[in-house]
Amino acid sequence: MSETRILEISGVTKLFGGLAALKDVSLEVAPGEIKGIIGPNGAGKTTLFDVLTGILTPTEGRVLFKGRDLIGMRPDQITAMGMIRTFQTIQLFAGMTVLENAMVGCHSQTRSGFLATSLRTPGARREEKEIIEDAHAVLKEVGLGTRAHETGTNLPYGQQRMLELARALASRPEILLLDEPAAGLNQYETGELSELLSGLRDRGLTILLVEHDMGLVMSVSDEVVVLDYGEIIAQGSPEDVQNDPRVIEAYLGIEAD
Amino acid sequence: MAGRKASRCDVERKEEPLKRAQRRDYRTLALVTGFILLVPAWAWLLPGDVIHMDIVNIMVFAGIYTFVVIGLNLLVGYAGQISLGHAAFFGIGAYTTAILCCRFTWFPTWLGVLAGVAVAGLIGWLVGVPVLRLKGHYLAMATLGLGEIAVILFAELKGLTGGTIGIPQGLNVKVSQIPALSIFGFDFDTDLKLFFLVWVLAAVVMLLSINIIRSRVGRSLRALHSSEVAADAMGVDTSRQKTRVFVLSAMLAAFGGAIFAHFQRYINPESFVLSVSILFITMVVVGGMGNLWGGVVGVITLTFLPSIIQALPYWIPGVPSGLMNFSNYSLMLYGALLVVFVMFMPQGIAAGLSKAAAYGENRFKQLRDRAGARKYEGH
Amino acid sequence: MARREVSRKTLLTVTAVFIAAVAGLTLALKGSTGLQWIVSGLTVGSIYALVAMGFSVIYSSTRVINFAQGEFSMLGGMLMYSIYMRAGLPLPLAFLVSVLIVTLIGAGLERATIHPLRNQSVISVIIVTIGLAIFIRATAKLIWGSEPVKVASFTGDKPLRFLGASIVPQSFWVFGLTLLAFVLVFLFFDRTLLGKGMRAAAANPDAASLMGISSSTSSLVAWTMAAALGAAAGIVIAPINFAYYYAGTMLGLKGFTAAILGGLGSASGAVVGGLLLGVLETIVAGVFPSGYKSAVAFVILILVLLIRPEGLLGRSEGVKV
Repeated sequence: MSETRILEISGVTKLFGGLAALKDVSLEVAPGEIKGIIGPNGAGKTTLFDVLTGILTPTEGRVLFKGRDLIGMRPDQITAMGMIRTFQTIQLFAGMTVLENAMVGCHSQTRSGFLATSLRTPGARREEKEIIEDAHAVLKEVGLGTRAHETGTNLPYGQQRMLELARALASRPEILLLDEPAAGLNQYETGELSELLSGLRDRGLTILLVEHDMGLVMSVSDEVVVLDYGEIIAQGSPEDVQNDPRVIEAYLGIEAD
Repeated sequence: MAGRKASRCDVERKEEPLKRAQRRDYRTLALVTGFILLVPAWAWLLPGDVIHMDIVNIMVFAGIYTFVVIGLNLLVGYAGQISLGHAAFFGIGAYTTAILCCRFTWFPTWLGVLAGVAVAGLIGWLVGVPVLRLKGHYLAMATLGLGEIAVILFAELKGLTGGTIGIPQGLNVKVSQIPALSIFGFDFDTDLKLFFLVWVLAAVVMLLSINIIRSRVGRSLRALHSSEVAADAMGVDTSRQKTRVFVLSAMLAAFGGAIFAHFQRYINPESFVLSVSILFITMVVVGGMGNLWGGVVGVITLTFLPSIIQALPYWIPGVPSGLMNFSNYSLMLYGALLVVFVMFMPQGIAAGLSKAAAYGENRFKQLRDRAGARKYEGH
Repeated sequence: MARREVSRKTLLTVTAVFIAAVAGLTLALKGSTGLQWIVSGLTVGSIYALVAMGFSVIYSSTRVINFAQGEFSMLGGMLMYSIYMRAGLPLPLAFLVSVLIVTLIGAGLERATIHPLRNQSVISVIIVTIGLAIFIRATAKLIWGSEPVKVASFTGDKPLRFLGASIVPQSFWVFGLTLLAFVLVFLFFDRTLLGKGMRAAAANPDAASLMGISSSTSSLVAWTMAAALGAAAGIVIAPINFAYYYAGTMLGLKGFTAAILGGLGSASGAVVGGLLLGVLETIVAGVFPSGYKSAVAFVILILVLLIRPEGLLGRSEGVKV
C-alpha cells in the first residue's frame, strides 16, 4: 500500500460560504512521480495545496500521507512529516540573507529550543553547523551558491523563486508541493527549473506541480490532473490529457481564444 | 545548468560570515560591558554635586530597564508581536518579591526575585496563549487592557498589595522598607554594589539573547515576523514560538521589576502604569526595533535624558532654569521622540550611529583618495 | 455565511435578554437607585458611543486604530473651557469654534504623520498614534495645568425628577448630540458617494480609486470626522465630568472597548456598545468597590477580542487584521 501511494486524497470538498472551491476531489500520488495539476484560474489548485498543508481544513474528505490522516494537523506538523510547499506569491523572509532563508527551511529537521540555543550547548552548536552546511548545499543545488550572503529580497525575481525552492528543499521533504514555480521566469530559467525538477524526481522525491506553463508541465510530469471549478475533470498521461475533449473544451479551448 | 557549475568554485574555506558576525557581537559585548563597568570611575571624577546628577544611581535604573527592554525587543522587534502592557510583568516581579520578603522577614531576597520571575512566567503563559492569537491593533489593545487590569488589581487587592499606598507602608508588617537584595549573605545595599550586580547580570542576559537571536530560534522569530504563513509552512510552530518569546519577555521584565523593588525599597502601583509600558516601548523604538544593541542605547539615552535636561541650567549659563522642572516636559518629549523616530529613523539610534560611522569612514576615504590623487597630479 | 447569520441573531437575542435581565434585576433590587444608575450609565455610555464612532470611522475607511482618539475629546473639553468659560463666547459659537479647532488639529496630524506612513507596518502606525496621544496630553498639561476645570452646563443644573431618579438637563444634550452624530455618520457612509467610496477604499483601494476616491482623501476625511466626533463628545460631557488633561486616556480606552463590543467599523455597533458598556460600568461601580469600575471595560475588551472579535453587530469581515 504505502509503496504504491505516498499521498491519498479522497473525497475532499471545501466550501467557502456555500461556494465549493473543491468538489469531491480524489487523487492518488505514487512515490517518486511528478504529478502536474493544471486548470484555469480559480479552479481550486491553490485551495488544494492549502488543504494538504493544513492551512485550510476541508469541509469533507480525508488526506492520507504515508498512511496517516493529515486533517486537523497543524501546518508545521505536516511539514515535519515531510510535505512542504512553496507559494504562488513569493514569501521570502524580509531582512534575511539568502543563506538565512534557506536555514529557516531546516527548522523542521532540528530541535534546539530557547534554552539550548541561549546556552550554546554542544548539541545546539553541532546542529547550527549542520544547518549551515545543509543550507549551503541546497543553495548550490539550485544555483544560488555564490549569492548566499546577499539579502534574499534583493535577488532578481527568478532567483527569488529558486530560493523559495531551496528553502523548501532544506527541510528534506518527501513530497514537494510547488505552486506556480515558473511564474515570472524567463525561458532559460524555466529550462533550468525543468532540469532541476527531473533531477529531484530521479533522486526519489515526489512532486505535485501546479503550473500555468503548459510546456513545463507536459515535459516533466509523469501524470497530469485537470481541475475545473473545483472538480477533477481529467487525469492521465500528458498526451492523454492534451487530447481529452473535455479538457480542450474547459481549459485549453479557453486558452486558445 | 551553467549556474550550478559556476557555483562549484564557491568560497567554502573562507570563514562563515554568520560566525564572523557572532564573534563581532561578542567583541562588542565585551567592549560595552567593560566601558559600562568603568562608569563608577567617571562618577568618581565627576561627583554628583559638581555635575548635578548621580551617574551611578541613574545607571542602576538603566540596568534594571535593560532587562525589560531586551525581552521586549525580542518580542516586538524580532517576533513582531507588540505589547503595551509590559509594565504589568515588571510590577508582578516587584510585587511578588516585595510581598514575600516583607511578610516573611526570613524569606531570602534572591529567592523572592526568582519567585517573581516564575510567577510572571506563569501569568505570561496563561495570558499569552489566548491573547497572542490576536494580531496588530487587536494585540496592542488587548495587552494594553491587561496592563490596566494589572494596575487596578495592584491598587485594589489592598490586603495583598497595600493598595495605592503600596509596600511596605500599606501593609500591616513590621519592616519599614523592602529589604535590600542579599545573595549568600552579601547585601547589595548601596547604589554602587547594585550597579555592579545589575550590569554584570545584564551582560549575561545580553549574551544569552545574542545566542538566541543568532540561532534556529531567533531565525524562526524573525521568520514569523515577516510572514506567519510562510513560517508555518517551513515547519515553525508559530503560536508556540510566539507564546514562548512572550513568556521569556515577561520573565525578563519581572526580573527587572524584582530588582527594582529591592533597589527602591518601596513600591506602589504608580511605577507600573500605562505610561511605564509606553516608556519601555519608547526605549525599544528609539534604540532600534530588532536590534539588541539599540535597546541598550535606547535605555541609557532615555534614562539619562531627564537628568541631563534638568542639569543643563547648571552646566550652561543662560539656559532657563525652568528646565529643572523637566517632569512637566518629559512626556511631551517622549511622545515627540516616538513620532519622530518612527517617521524619520525607524531603525533607531543604533542603526543611525552605525550609518553615521560608515558615512564618516567613506568620507574619510574619499578625502584621502582625493588627496592622494592630487599628489599624483602634482608629479 | 448562513450559519454566521444565525449565530449573529442568536447572539443579539442573548444580548437583549441579558440587558433586559440586568436592567430588570437592578430596578427590582435597587428601585429608584437602580434607575439612577441606568440613567447615568446611558449618559456616560452615549459619550463612549461618540468616541467609539470616531474609532469606527477611521477604522472602516483606513483600517487604522487611532490611539489618540480620546485626546480629541480631552482637547474639546479643555478648549470649551477656555473659549466658553474664560473668553466668554456665546455657547453655540464656543461649541463650533472648539470643534473646529480640534478638527483642524486632527486633519493636520493626519497629513503630518499618518499620511507619510501609509505604506508602513501596523506596528509603526500604532506607535505613532501612541506618540501623538502622549504629546497632545503633555502639551495640554502645559497649557491648562493638571487641575480639573469646570464647564457650565448648557441649560442650567436643575435636575428633572423621574420616578425617584434625577436627570440633569445636560444628559439630554448628551443624548441629543449622540443621536444627531449617529444619524449624520450613518447618512454619510450610506447615502453619500464620498462615504460609500471611503468604505470601498478600505476594502479594496484599487476599486475605490476607479470611483475617483483615493485612499489618501479617504484617510484625511476620516481623521477630520473622527476629530470632530471626539471633540463634540468631550465638550458635551465636560459639564458633567470635569475636564482635565488626563481625561482622554480613559475615554479613549473605553470608547475603543465600546467600538469593539458593538463591532468595530459600524456606527450602530458603536452606539450599542457604548450604551451597554456605560450601563454595565455604572452598575458594577454601584455594587462593587468603585476602584473596579474601570476593570469592567478592560475585562469586556479582552473577552470580546478573544471570543468574538467582530463584536455584537459586526460581520466576520476584517477580523483577522
